Amino acid sequence: MMMRDDAEDDTAALRKEVRTWLESNWDSSLPPEQDRWNLSPATKAWLVKVFEAGWAVPTWPADWHGRGLTESQADAVAEEFGRIGAPGARQDRSNFIVRTIYHHADPGLKRSIVPALLKREKGICLLYSEPSAGSDLAGIRTRADIDGTGYLINGQKVWTSGAAFADYALLLARTDWDAPKHAGLTVFLFPMHQAGVEVRPLRQITDETHFNEVFLTNARVEAIQILGGLNNGWRVLQAALAYERTALGDQSRAARHSAISDDLIGLARQYGRLSDNALRQELAGVIALRKLHALNGARARELGDNNEPSPLVSLGKLAMSRILHEEARIRTSIVGVETLLCGPDHPLADDANFLAFNAYFTSIGGGTDQIQRNIISERILDLPREPDPDRNIPFRQTRSG
Amino acid sequence: MKSTADERAAMRDVICNLLRSEASESHVRATMTTRSGYDAALWKKLADLGIIGMLIDPEYGGSGLGPIELELIMEETGSVLLCSPFLSSGVLAASLLMSSKNRAVQQRLLPSIADGTTLATVAMTDDRGCWTEAGIGVHAHQVKGHLRLNGVASYVLYGEVSDVFLVVARTSDGLRLYEVTKDDSRFELVPLSMFDPTLRSARLRFADTPARLIEPIDWTSVQKSLDVALIARAGEQVGGTRRIFDMTIAYSKTRFQFGRPIGGFQAMKHWAADLLIDVESSISAARYAADRMANQIDQSQEALYLAAFACSDAYTKISAATIQMHGGIGFTWEHPAHLYARRARAYAQLFGSPSYYREQYLRQLGA
Repeated sequence: MMMRDDAEDDTAALRKEVRTWLESNWDSSLPPEQDRWNLSPATKAWLVKVFEAGWAVPTWPADWHGRGLTESQADAVAEEFGRIGAPGARQDRSNFIVRTIYHHADPGLKRSIVPALLKREKGICLLYSEPSAGSDLAGIRTRADIDGTGYLINGQKVWTSGAAFADYALLLARTDWDAPKHAGLTVFLFPMHQAGVEVRPLRQITDETHFNEVFLTNARVEAIQILGGLNNGWRVLQAALAYERTALGDQSRAARHSAISDDLIGLARQYGRLSDNALRQELAGVIALRKLHALNGARARELGDNNEPSPLVSLGKLAMSRILHEEARIRTSIVGVETLLCGPDHPLADDANFLAFNAYFTSIGGGTDQIQRNIISERILDLPREPDPDRNIPFRQTRSG
Repeated sequence: MKSTADERAAMRDVICNLLRSEASESHVRATMTTRSGYDAALWKKLADLGIIGMLIDPEYGGSGLGPIELELIMEETGSVLLCSPFLSSGVLAASLLMSSKNRAVQQRLLPSIADGTTLATVAMTDDRGCWTEAGIGVHAHQVKGHLRLNGVASYVLYGEVSDVFLVVARTSDGLRLYEVTKDDSRFELVPLSMFDPTLRSARLRFADTPARLIEPIDWTSVQKSLDVALIARAGEQVGGTRRIFDMTIAYSKTRFQFGRPIGGFQAMKHWAADLLIDVESSISAARYAADRMANQIDQSQEALYLAAFACSDAYTKISAATIQMHGGIGFTWEHPAHLYARRARAYAQLFGSPSYYREQYLRQLGA
């Protein structure tokens, strides 16, 4: 027990340090960002401060702008920031794109881009999925063909968040069509500002347009911009996806209009439903899901499972998907008939409807729940893998559609 | 006294090794058909290891450990479905006596409970089995200057083999805790037929039964020992849950149908992935509740109620899935799946149902 008591003392001192720093630096009048892809200059200035203080990536070493903290210490930092709603801390976990670059790019490439991304001086997006390669991501058909010192890129990507504001993308492209599907892929750090890159917004079921389609026509990327080696893209992508699932497992979007939509007990009280015993039973069960998820996360970190991408994080994303759908279901049941309505005159109904549809962001994005269940059963439980008839044949012979 | 992580790991190893050799499935099956429902020789070994007296202060011959160690030990006993009166004697009765203000009774009873030579149990609920103050069914009053108990106490764990009964009774002046011994012939004890053959309980009917007053008591003190029992229950539930989940996954890799392991079918894989979330969540809930109680941190009640229903629900759900996933073999008496399902169903009701604890949890959250 002594060991843990010491660790608790350390954490208490750390929390105090963070609080003191926040007290003298945080400007609580900073308005919350409406669009996380297009930040205001004031928010960017704040992110620079966070970065310079080492809070952006607390687990990274000091010469990489971090503080060399443990995972749970870094979580304490994030909690202190979260308590007052200050953004920018703990990007070594939440900013999964930067995390991928940090772990897989050459030192020179890393130095040239990681600090700028952490400070949001530069923006970055993902060019992975394609219209005919969703769950089966190794089936992508965007081509990278050698052209002098670099590659010419042709293809179509989809589900790209923040493409309109991105300076770079992590691009997954096929560099060898004669190798089996997983073996001919390469990840590039791809410059977005060039002719041959066309971004078209995609309207979502929530009536938002965070995602885009990206059309690539003879766009260019240099060979030195390859991440993790030629034809080694699948391995890089596995890590990148695991980081993304960690972030998705941590995340849930808040209600758009009213904080009470996120407080299910408060919402039920407001609608006079707290005396409904059937609802109370469901409410307790749903609230418990989120608490249990947090406890699992804390236990996984204690076990040190999160230093490297672990299949356990897939558990987190699947659990979060269930939480969001279940919360949406009970929220809808509390708000009831008012969910027929929408718009700013009906903020709680609007929240209920929005969150019910937005839950699919987590249950489809980053690998559907069904793909997560395959991953969990195969990699954690070691059950037999799904048959994969095109796994070992040259990619150009595979069927797609 | 708190143990270090190393000490806890060592403790787990010791109990694990003992149970592996002495509480095998065939041993459990043999023990569960005996009248007493436990193995006296194994009981003695557990006592010698300090397990039976783990919650009792060293002053009274115990090991003076707390909820964290209790939860850990129970994960192991639950995993093998150990048949023993530990929950009633070493946990519930011992906790109730540890919080007593009557030192003479403590000195007289606790050392022999700790060394396993006395089996004690607590009688606190009537036939409704609700383990709340309202559920107390025994009344105490004076008859011609002598104290007498009347009424019914049911679901008294291991009543038939217990030497000492701690009886919570109503009086005209609040609750009192009484001691009745088995040698006192003036009460009726009927062993109840249990759906879970690895458990024993009895129904006691008092009719002008003499009893010895231990002390006036308030429900909060009773509740506190019940809380410790809930930690023990959660530990056993988690141990059982994990064991049968592992057993099921292992079976699905070796059972071939249609020329391949059944664990390769997505119907099985996806089900298993979903269940794994429940398995992991119940482990987290039980350990968190034990940790909160041990450190007496805020939200310890909230954590306890959460574990009380999360671990019950997970065990019930996963033991039911175990039967289904095993197919025909899981429907046989010879396969252990039903023994775990019986234990899961029993523990989901003993000391309070999942719906009861969901309601308590919600109240803790201010609703």
